[in-house]
Amino acid sequence: MKKKGFCALLSVAFLVSAALTGCSYKAPESSSSGGTQQQATTEGQPAQTGTADELKIGLDVDAGTMDPRLSRDTTAARVTDVVFDGLIRLSDKLEAQPALAEKWENPDPTTWVFTLRKGVTFHDGSPFTAEDVKFTYDSLLDPNFKAPYAKLYAPISKVEVVDEQTVKFTLKQPYAPLLSYLDLGIVPKSLAEKDPQAFSSNPVGTGPYKMVKWDKNSKISFEANEQYWGGPAKTKKLTYFIIPDNSTRVSALEAGDVDLVHSPLSPQDIAKIKSNSKFTVKETEGLGYTYLNYNTTNPILSDVKVRQALAHLVDKKLISDSLYAGMDKPGQSPLIPPSWAYDPSITGYSYDPVEAKALFEEAGWKDSNNDGILDKDGKKLTLTLSTHTEDPNRMQTVEFLQNEFTKAGVDAKVSTTEWPTFSANMMAQKFDIALLGWLSLVDPDRAMYGQFQSQSENNYGKYNNPKVDELLDKGRASLDQAERARVYQEVAKIVTDEVAYDVVLYQGYVAMYANNLTGFKEHPKGSLYNLKDVEVKK
Amino acid sequence: MVTYLIKRLFQMIPVVIGISVIVFFLLHMIPGDPAMVLLGQDASQSEIERLRNLMGLNEPLYVQLFTFLKNVATGDLGHSIFQNESVFSLIAKHLPATLELAVVAMLIALVIAIPLGILSAVKQFSWVDYISMFFAQLGVSIPVFWMGMLLIIGLSVNLNWFPSFGRGEPLTEALWTAITTGNIYDLVQSMRSLFLPALTLGVMSAALITRMVRSTMLEVLKEDYVRTAEAKGVSGFMVIVKHAFRNALIPVITIVGLQFGNLLGGAIVTETVFAWPGIGRLVITAISQRDFPVVQGSVFIIAFLFALTNLIVDILYAVVNPKIQQR
Amino acid sequence: MNVNLLRTAARSKAVLIGGIIVLAVVLAAILAPLLSTHDPYEMNVKERLLDPLEGGHLLGTDQFGRDLYTRILYGAQVSLEVGIVSVSLALVIGVTLGLISGYYGGWIDTVIMRFVDIVLSFPVLLLAIAFVAALGPGIENVIIALALVYWTSYARLVRATVLSIKEEEYVQAARTIGSSDFRIIVYNILPNCLAPIIVVATLGLGQAIVAEATLSFLGLGIQPPESSWGWTLAFGMKFLQDAPHLSIYPGVAIMLTVLGFNLLGDGIRDLTDTKLKQK
Repeated sequence: MKKKGFCALLSVAFLVSAALTGCSYKAPESSSSGGTQQQATTEGQPAQTGTADELKIGLDVDAGTMDPRLSRDTTAARVTDVVFDGLIRLSDKLEAQPALAEKWENPDPTTWVFTLRKGVTFHDGSPFTAEDVKFTYDSLLDPNFKAPYAKLYAPISKVEVVDEQTVKFTLKQPYAPLLSYLDLGIVPKSLAEKDPQAFSSNPVGTGPYKMVKWDKNSKISFEANEQYWGGPAKTKKLTYFIIPDNSTRVSALEAGDVDLVHSPLSPQDIAKIKSNSKFTVKETEGLGYTYLNYNTTNPILSDVKVRQALAHLVDKKLISDSLYAGMDKPGQSPLIPPSWAYDPSITGYSYDPVEAKALFEEAGWKDSNNDGILDKDGKKLTLTLSTHTEDPNRMQTVEFLQNEFTKAGVDAKVSTTEWPTFSANMMAQKFDIALLGWLSLVDPDRAMYGQFQSQSENNYGKYNNPKVDELLDKGRASLDQAERARVYQEVAKIVTDEVAYDVVLYQGYVAMYANNLTGFKEHPKGSLYNLKDVEVKK
Repeated sequence: MVTYLIKRLFQMIPVVIGISVIVFFLLHMIPGDPAMVLLGQDASQSEIERLRNLMGLNEPLYVQLFTFLKNVATGDLGHSIFQNESVFSLIAKHLPATLELAVVAMLIALVIAIPLGILSAVKQFSWVDYISMFFAQLGVSIPVFWMGMLLIIGLSVNLNWFPSFGRGEPLTEALWTAITTGNIYDLVQSMRSLFLPALTLGVMSAALITRMVRSTMLEVLKEDYVRTAEAKGVSGFMVIVKHAFRNALIPVITIVGLQFGNLLGGAIVTETVFAWPGIGRLVITAISQRDFPVVQGSVFIIAFLFALTNLIVDILYAVVNPKIQQR
Repeated sequence: MNVNLLRTAARSKAVLIGGIIVLAVVLAAILAPLLSTHDPYEMNVKERLLDPLEGGHLLGTDQFGRDLYTRILYGAQVSLEVGIVSVSLALVIGVTLGLISGYYGGWIDTVIMRFVDIVLSFPVLLLAIAFVAALGPGIENVIIALALVYWTSYARLVRATVLSIKEEEYVQAARTIGSSDFRIIVYNILPNCLAPIIVVATLGLGQAIVAEATLSFLGLGIQPPESSWGWTLAFGMKFLQDAPHLSIYPGVAIMLTVLGFNLLGDGIRDLTDTKLKQK
């Protein structure tokens, strides 16, 4: 009887396999080989010539929207990078280069006139005109539109259509950083005005790729725009896969499920891929830094000596070398290396626990009761280091610093929370020392004005220095880059000496891809626009 | 039966509303709000305040709660703050993935558990029994996310047998393609993506069901009618399948139902590990962004499904075991 | 507990193996300062992520160059603390409400049981996530969240037991001689609920340890430099490929401990069941 059961099973198995052999097994035209199918070429069989028709990119989060005016996450930015064009595009030196605007001029410091490129069409075939530019910026500045970065454009007082090919921006006051922000994607008025809701998930731009399908939390598919004014993209199809976990994303690269991954990445994964000869690792200096923010309203931290002592306890080189595996480099001042205002002579405090101890003593903090913790007037030197849980490297850094601070006699605690809680605490000055970062610092004004100007509401640490206020206003008003550089260097020197900020790391961007991928050019802003020139050899 | 059903359905209402209210208050206790997240790091306090007013977040909590419940009653779950889409359509996009995962996980669990359970009951105290009981104990003791990670490293990265993340075409669509066109590519791809997460999710259920099958089978095998059948010369295999297992099915159905409910919850972790675009990830992301409408809407739907599963289990139970009906 | 029961217990393989594992874990936690080879908090970043047996580290080092073997010993303290305190809290809430509900019945029973239904009508983990998010991170809040989620099963269990023995003769007798409700509950009813409570609580300890690990994995765990196994494991997974020992050993520790508690719980259940049957 048992045998019979087994025979029955076998015959069923046979039938099934017979049925299956009647079926075909081939990838549909739309989707190129994924995963295991690629092994075929590496196993000595004659490699097929030519290039893959699909480029697969691994990204960390899903896009919140695909409307460039509303974009706030990196994936939204990376979608708009390829779907839209701005008036300008930033070069890898952060200089403005013509895109939808062919040229521009300043008749006076508060007027900008842009001449637009002719013959450009949106993906739906409608022509790109000056009206679209006006509409994009008017809607962006409308408070009810809730554009997250409207603040960067606030000094614009009006945008006028001079003729079909000319647009004029008038500013309330001279505002030098503006040009760097005009890489914002231009949306077609006809579509975006009618139904903004639908537009944000079905974007239509002028860029090298058209968005085809958006599978929420899974993938975003694009198709090359054959009519692209800069020439059609090399690879016909582009897909962004959403893989939140850093290590899983790198595993997907190793398994051949994606062709390229980009920061954020975990340092240990980068080290691993570097040692694998099948892959290429490209590192660039990014437009961000990671820093310690000191809350100057805290009575202990209001003493500049204490802040300086603490700055002497931060071993930036060790943090960079080990915890970040060299991905981010030791930081010095709030001016980043890719910036035209960067000055390598401005440096922070070196790692020196002995000097720290001396400074603590000068400020009156000594271990008078021999419990290993510094005290003053009977109070312990208790401080909390906080950061957000989304970034494991920052969590490690904070844990490491907690250990360093404790060794130096500071009663240091750690508090790690999710970003919304963390930033709510920052806003309300409910923190002592916080580790966080800034991104996309295309202009030095970007983080500095908000963070160091005494009246600014984003001045988390409530740093207050009239001299700095004056310099910051000066930096905004001038259109002379050399003069602006000098101004920001002076600010950077003051805030670094007084430890309003302690810039721990300059963020690096890393892209990793298989060796058969060619044409990728990294960008300090992390832009993926250059994907249009990328090919994957089969 | 019908009155019982109606009574049970009505009992679901306060439960589902209750959990929605609890989650509503918990959610508003968490520091940080969507206005702040929406405007990002550059925003100032006054801008955030303005947006808060615009979004109705400065209304008293009971007003916000009442608005939410009123909208739910009219079938409107609201609109996502971050993903320009209605909560209903977001759930409609994510729920099938989770259901697919849970159903296949349960199938895998059953395929492992039933033969293993029967075998260890029939061969009690043999090495088969010991080994399967050992694995059953291990299965309930192993942290799910840890096992998922080990599977990814072992089977996708090192051996490249399965994709390490994500989902292929929806299984039902892939199946349809295979049937209509005869091309099984999509189907195979879908199944490959599905296997590891479903296995990870199904292991704990497999362990629990194995133990349940074993213990109920042990009891049934001792019953008189099984012995009578054996005495009549019915072969061992037939006795087990026809007589013993069928009677052991009742408690198994209960635990399968309960486990299915747990799978919906357990999917949160599995979906995070495998980047599976299901409702668990939707909720986790929404919590971390403080996307209140999405969290509230999903929680409502999950609670509803959970309650519904329990109801179906009870009905099935009543059908298989008529004694219950009189309750 | 009398000698006989202990002897029976020892004869049950499940109880024996489970008991030995649990005892070993408890001893490891208590004797951590004696058994450890290094300072659990001392960092040496230059020696980070060493493999087992490298540089005099039995199980290698973690991302800060701390000795993993030592961290796991001390981690036993934290994991057991989370398990024991959260289960105790859940017991206090659940048993109290279960006793009240079962003993008094009526509207108070309805209210409590409706509430239990509500909490049980939702995935446990999702609720725990919401609680921790609302309470903030830290070991105390994780414990509170787990207690607030897990008390319901005890309440249901105790209520059912109370209902089954409320009408027994000795309870009725106590009532007729005028014992106060409190006395009856504590002296006559509670002792009879103990066996099932012990079983479920033992299983619950394992559950709580896994739940804490899962919360840590989702970024909602305890705060450094304290370290539970769950936290070490969750963070270690970021180094899964270069330093698999970082996630394997704490994972094994969790698995073994939970296995120990499960075997013990199941074993005790089997023992008490047979005892009941013999009655």
